[in-house]
Amino acid sequence: MKFFCVKNNLYPLIAVFSSVAILIFGLVNAKSIECTYFLIGVFLWMFIFGFYKQAIKAFIMFVVIGGIFACIAYFSSGKNFNSALAMINRFGTIFLALVPGMSVSTIAMTRNLSQLHVPRSVTLGMLITMSFLPVLSAEIKRVREAMKTRGVGSIFNVKIFYRAFLIPLVCRLVDISDVLALSIETRGFMLGKANYTIYKREQINVLDIMYILGLMISIILLVVL
Amino acid sequence: MTGREKAILELIQFSKQMNEDDNAFNKSISKNKNKIFEKYLIKDIVFLAIITCCTLVTGAVMPLLVNVPMFGIIQLGLGLQFSIFPVIGLMKVKKPFALLLQSIFISVFLVFMFPPMVFLIVCALVIELLTLLIFRGYKNDWACVFAATLYMPMTIPLLYMYYNVFFSVSGNEKAAVSMFIGGGNIGVIIGISFAVIALCFVGSLIGMVIAKELKKAGKLK
Repeated sequence: MKFFCVKNNLYPLIAVFSSVAILIFGLVNAKSIECTYFLIGVFLWMFIFGFYKQAIKAFIMFVVIGGIFACIAYFSSGKNFNSALAMINRFGTIFLALVPGMSVSTIAMTRNLSQLHVPRSVTLGMLITMSFLPVLSAEIKRVREAMKTRGVGSIFNVKIFYRAFLIPLVCRLVDISDVLALSIETRGFMLGKANYTIYKREQINVLDIMYILGLMISIILLVVL
Repeated sequence: MTGREKAILELIQFSKQMNEDDNAFNKSISKNKNKIFEKYLIKDIVFLAIITCCTLVTGAVMPLLVNVPMFGIIQLGLGLQFSIFPVIGLMKVKKPFALLLQSIFISVFLVFMFPPMVFLIVCALVIELLTLLIFRGYKNDWACVFAATLYMPMTIPLLYMYYNVFFSVSGNEKAAVSMFIGGGNIGVIIGISFAVIALCFVGSLIGMVIAKELKKAGKLK
């Protein structure tokens, strides 16, 4: 009974939908005080559903950046509180819309898209793009270490940056891409219309439904009130 | 007919057959070269994904820039990165819709970071069509430069529309809006648009130079 199991992640498509819904309705109603209540409600709702880490991160960013722009709006509009409130709501909306996305892992998103028969070239590319980040940072470190070993000089010199950093890095990336492509091919991966299995299917859970229902109710309240 | 003569005749026939096979092979290669639409291979997708990853990493300043709603600030901040790497990608994978694929890969992540940047897909589609119309694909290096130069600047009108909705305000807020967007002044709009195009052109040229060096080294086959 996976439907009733407790899980940490949202169903990926529900996460995308909730991000877009928060963004649209938050921005459209940004000038009203009801929007502030809506954002607070959604923030608490996310907290309840276990996205507190992501929500706190987004909140800290919101306080710093939103605060600065709210002050600018307040003083530039002749100390008008409504302007500052609108600005706070807009930035609150943007940062809150980030939270569901932050809670979804790349592999879950890829599995979900594969289930929906999205072209395999897209899911493969998406997966590589996101999983490649640690490899890329390791390669950058290696190239920089090689620069130090050779005593090349400062990376801030444009010529040195181009010759000793950028070119070796791109060369390495080309090599890695060739090897990666070869290893994918040898594992029998095909881009065409071949049958494939999904190791772990993403399924909608009762928590996902409760989450989206809560969000929909708050959106209806925002629009009606 | 002696055995020696028979062998010579067989050799002549064999060489003729070989020549015919070679000609057929060359014809098929030239046919493939003349083809506009080509099938994507796994190595193409992998390379485009890796190059997109580089674009994504270097574009990490995006979350900071999106919160500075000055006209064209995103394009000015990201123009260089979003032209250097796509050119390298296009010069290795010289197939139509390579830019569109890069945009799709990057948009999947930008949708969470800054949803309006999903417009990149629309921009890439328009540029692909333009490139197909003008250059008939990416066989020409300048087609790659053309596409990458227009990639970021194409987002300006779309993001301008977005900002107008985002800061769609009236009355007292107008002061803040004009200060933030800077879009009320036509001179500012034209100036920043040209600056973005120039920046992207420089980035594309740098990308082309890098790709040519890689070609010389035998890396971009």
